[in-house]
Amino acid sequence: MNKKTLNFSLNGLAESIEVTPRTRLLDALRNKLGLTGTKEGCGTGDCGSCTVLLDGKAVNSCMVAALQVEGCEVTTIEGVGKPGDLHPVQQAMVQEGGIQCGFCTPGMVMSLKSLFDEESNPNEEAVRVAISSNLCRCTGYTKIIEAARALGAGEVDAKTAINKDGALGSSMTRMDAEEKVTGRAIYAEDVQLPRMIHGVVLRSPYAHAKILSFDSSEAERLPGVKAIVSAADTDMDYFGYELHDYRVFAVDKVRFRGEPVAAVAATTIDIARHAASKIKVEYEELPAVFDPEAAMADDAPLLHDDCNAYALDWETERSGNLCYQMKVDDGDIEKGFAEADEIVEAEYETPEAHPGSIEPHSSTAMMDANGRITVWTTTQKPFAFRGFLAKALKRPISTFKIIPTQIGGGFGGKLFPCLEPYAALLAERADLPVQMTLTREEEMYGTLLRHPSKVKLKTGVKNDGTLVAHSVRMLFNTGAYGLYGPNTSALASLMATGPYRIPNVSITGLVAYTNNVPCGSVRCPGGPQMAFAVEAHIDKIARCIDMDPLALRLKNAWEDGDYTCSGQKLESVSIKECLQKAADAIDWDKPRQPGEGKGIAANWWVSGTWGTQSLIESNEDGTFRLITGTVDMGPGGLTSSVLQLAAEGLGVPVDSITLVQGDTDTMPWDHGTGGSRMTFTIGKSAYEAAEDIKRQLLEEAANDLEASVNDLELVKDRVQVCGDPASHVLLSKLCYQRHKKHGGPMVGVSSVLDDPVPTTKKHPIGGFPAPSFCAHAVELSVDESTGEIDLKRYVAVHDVGNAINPVGCEGQIEGGVAMGLGMALMEEIREEEGRVMNPGFADYLLLTAEDMPPTQSILVEQPAVEGPFGIKGVGEPPIAPPTGAVANALIDAIDVDVARLPLTPEEVSARIRIRQS
Amino acid sequence: MINDFNFVQPSSVAEALEALSTNDGVQALAGGTNVMVNMKRAPLQTECLIDLSKLDELKTICEDDDCIRLGAGVTISELLNWKPGGVVERLMQPMCHAFAGPLIRNLATVGGNVCDTSAAADLSPVLLALNASVELQSASQGSRMLDLRDFFQGVRKTALRKDELLTAITFARPDDDARCFYYKLGKRKADAISIVSIAMILKLDKDIVSASSIGLGAVAPVALRAVAAENTLKGAALNDDTISAAAEAAVSDSSPIDDFRAGGDYRRQMVEVLVKKGLNAIKDA
Ligand SMILES: Cc1cc2nc3c(=O)[nH]c(=O)nc-3n(C[C@H](O)[C@H](O)[C@H](O)COP(=O)(O)OP(=O)(O)OC[C@H]3O[C@@H](n4cnc5c(N)ncnc54)[C@H](O)[C@@H]3O)c2cc1C
Ligand code: FES
Ligand code: FES
Repeated sequence: MNKKTLNFSLNGLAESIEVTPRTRLLDALRNKLGLTGTKEGCGTGDCGSCTVLLDGKAVNSCMVAALQVEGCEVTTIEGVGKPGDLHPVQQAMVQEGGIQCGFCTPGMVMSLKSLFDEESNPNEEAVRVAISSNLCRCTGYTKIIEAARALGAGEVDAKTAINKDGALGSSMTRMDAEEKVTGRAIYAEDVQLPRMIHGVVLRSPYAHAKILSFDSSEAERLPGVKAIVSAADTDMDYFGYELHDYRVFAVDKVRFRGEPVAAVAATTIDIARHAASKIKVEYEELPAVFDPEAAMADDAPLLHDDCNAYALDWETERSGNLCYQMKVDDGDIEKGFAEADEIVEAEYETPEAHPGSIEPHSSTAMMDANGRITVWTTTQKPFAFRGFLAKALKRPISTFKIIPTQIGGGFGGKLFPCLEPYAALLAERADLPVQMTLTREEEMYGTLLRHPSKVKLKTGVKNDGTLVAHSVRMLFNTGAYGLYGPNTSALASLMATGPYRIPNVSITGLVAYTNNVPCGSVRCPGGPQMAFAVEAHIDKIARCIDMDPLALRLKNAWEDGDYTCSGQKLESVSIKECLQKAADAIDWDKPRQPGEGKGIAANWWVSGTWGTQSLIESNEDGTFRLITGTVDMGPGGLTSSVLQLAAEGLGVPVDSITLVQGDTDTMPWDHGTGGSRMTFTIGKSAYEAAEDIKRQLLEEAANDLEASVNDLELVKDRVQVCGDPASHVLLSKLCYQRHKKHGGPMVGVSSVLDDPVPTTKKHPIGGFPAPSFCAHAVELSVDESTGEIDLKRYVAVHDVGNAINPVGCEGQIEGGVAMGLGMALMEEIREEEGRVMNPGFADYLLLTAEDMPPTQSILVEQPAVEGPFGIKGVGEPPIAPPTGAVANALIDAIDVDVARLPLTPEEVSARIRIRQS
Repeated sequence: MINDFNFVQPSSVAEALEALSTNDGVQALAGGTNVMVNMKRAPLQTECLIDLSKLDELKTICEDDDCIRLGAGVTISELLNWKPGGVVERLMQPMCHAFAGPLIRNLATVGGNVCDTSAAADLSPVLLALNASVELQSASQGSRMLDLRDFFQGVRKTALRKDELLTAITFARPDDDARCFYYKLGKRKADAISIVSIAMILKLDKDIVSASSIGLGAVAPVALRAVAAENTLKGAALNDDTISAAAEAAVSDSSPIDDFRAGGDYRRQMVEVLVKKGLNAIKDA
């Protein structure tokens, strides 16, 4: 190697290192100097997570060859501020809640710092521009822009930046804010182990082909290659979510372009890649099918010889490429249509979309002396991953220990194993630690996507606006494997009526295999697809009967006592309130200028899924440890609301509770994060575990104080006799004596049970506790000549039941709005013959800070009947309505029909031409 | 197997040219925003990178009353902060603002943008409209000037010889009374790849077009001048009929492809729309 010495100034100190011409500044910082606060989200200049200051200017360190900084001054996040000694920009980010998963945060801080180094009070436009190279998938930029405003206005203060008030309803600062804003948080790719080598996956270049032969002998002989694994030497079983049709390596044939065929580990990533290219796989291409409708035809190429051979947790009739179907009926659909004055029919299509976490998948595995394999990975579900690995590789669960790292955004993209099995197999084979990270390109076709949908709606309405009949045919293209297809269809069916009362309903859900990249369970699976179809359809109906779309919604909106299509009786329904608030905030009744329009869309979603268990242990000094088996993928529910609920249950200040983050060996089992369950389910169990330990503390104190438990209260750091604070005992004393006597801590435990929610109908999912409701509204203008849409402002009203941490709730809403707007306007995986044409952030577009409209979040707090403190989940719901709201505003502005997303300038132009003809 | 290349950091343009002439397989590295992307995708097929980023000689902007010379190493950020006034500023400012995002703008250079020869390179339509020339230098043959139109030779193909560097871009300052228009159509507001971009400069004598230059980006294998449209305009009164005719002619000037970024039909329509938009804006200005 062509090693050269590089001398430069790093964070104010002279630095001298050896690099090669191929070393990027980013690699030098992360790998040579261990400064892992600078992140790699793409490596192609598109995301900004690698931002550093080069001679004071913010640049992408992935775009700079290390040798180019000879003699220059480089500042990284590590040189900006430390926990306890934050830079004002960092204080502002913490104070205003601009941090979620934290992966974009170091880059964001660097860009803001360079702005504030030049200007002390930049205007909003300047702020948006300054961070427009820094993609954030979590926050919707709103709180980051707010942080810059507050800093410019002199409203940021080292002392008040961190809010330690853990009372319910207080916007307490999340516990991991400082660690993230200073770049100290450790994500999967930041894991560094001695002697670690690097692995890559060899993927199928064909969408559908027979594997005729496999020969890795040449690759094995290359210097530096340490292990190669493939189907031939791996004992595998099928695994999946509801549908168990997936194996770690393709066997006999490949079904999509990108399907793993083998994995290689070598001393460097370049050698591993080169070796993978030397593996000779002979294929015979097979006819392929990419359209789900065509895939269901009798003569379509068959992806799986017998789809009935795969285990499926739910009953269904399957055949050919149809891997799942379902039907839900209510009332009498024919009678309903007969009663209707108008029948409105249309079809709506949404494309494949990517979860879009800025952090790519990365896993590091190591085998220990006993043959157990530890995997450090970015996962929403550590325990499920342990189970997946055990099943997929036919090992006992005890083989694997999963250590979840910080997650740089999940959104459902980190629910299913990606690199873990390969890293584990390679580490075992090589007997060396192996790290694997997807390139951004692989990320776009080597992970699970959001299901594309085709939704046919036929709705009967009376002239007064009463909806009387609604027939729905949903077709989901699940790609080459079924995995989450059934679940997506089932969830989507719950959304198929929108939050509206329709007496006669017939819903069909179909899930078809095609030779496309397989789909998974992305944030609010089925939600944005159905919100687009149903909400655009409602506006179409409104136009058909010449009724105001808001009035039509209000007329049919659910009320307490109405039923979902699965027959769940609804309580605490707030949909009308949400709609009205959204309409008021967007000035619904005010007239529009030509070319401008307003759209409104409502939705509902489930909150809280599955049971869980939490523990709270005492420390000997009267502080506590909260132990849950879950992880926080960014929203901060775990690091704020859940702790707030635990503190509430105990009656102690929140900072006397430490959150324990562990691994699958040390933590209680849990389902993981997803399904809007964090605050609802984990929070509830934390609260109840806290109550449990509080009871024990009071009992212990009752002995000490010779009082009855009923006369005692726990106040901050002590237990005292009610009305006689002088008679008290400190928690520190109680805990110390308890630890001494029992040789261990006091332990509060709680189990939240997964009690089935009663429903009147047979439905694969049935009901959920605490449904949540929302309505969004948007104002936009359209340039009819080019088809460009300009979003003016956005309003999102969410009934969260009880806002335990309002800033956290708003953060979820704003981030969800950004993601939903992305689907509405620009996000789309473009496959041609099974090849992803836009594998990267240059062409798979997320909203930038310049695209995000000013967004107002309005919280409605109508307590859920069930659940702790009336909480309703808010993690997923915000991403659904934007698709409908934008479509409707477009319809309002220029009177076109919409049929598919995203509404790019080209698509809008096409719609205008259809209107004109 | 994995090719290993060398890296030189010359301290002057002369040294850089020397290195170019004495080695094979040498590639210039300026801001790196194309080179590093390529390197991420596949190993670089190069023997040696020559780092131009430290050459102050390439970073100057010289202007006098008539002529402007942009050093190849001027970054898009520097261009954005440059205030030459007149048509040049009114074209450069919106172009630079729509160019990538601030991080890339701090690295990306004028020379890199032109030499990369992407059909969608945003500088090209503006420079074409300004009738720019490129200054090319080599150790053996010194310096030569070439019309930018002749520099672009096809898909990712330029007139640059292996031993040459592009050292500057020059153009005459348009008259003060010239009028102009710039538009970049992309899929989002920041950091978007052009679907169509257009830069135009017109000279009007009363309402008669005495001269026009229209640069189009992303509608053909390389950026081009809409010659047919310019011919339509020449000597004509700038009225609705002329504008329609010029817009149609511009469509015939372009030959866009269908790709996943946009359909050829849409691109063609947008050429028509944007030429009309521009001419109308100029007419009403
Ligand atoms: C995220 C991102 C966004 C982008 N957005 C845009 C955009 O909006 N608009 C746009 O037009 N482009 C865009 N680009 C492309 C790129 O930034 C530009 O083309 C840029 O101007 C290239 O300049 P550079 O200095 O970085 O070139 P480099 O990458 O250093 O070089 C580019 C090519 O030119 C050659 N070269 C460079 N300088 C010279 C010279 N003086 N003489 C001879 N050869 C030379 C190099 O050898 C190389 O082949 C984007 C790129 C990225 C990564
Ligand atoms: S990693 Fe450098 S811009 Fe994404
Ligand atoms: S907080 Fe910005 S990407 Fe997660």
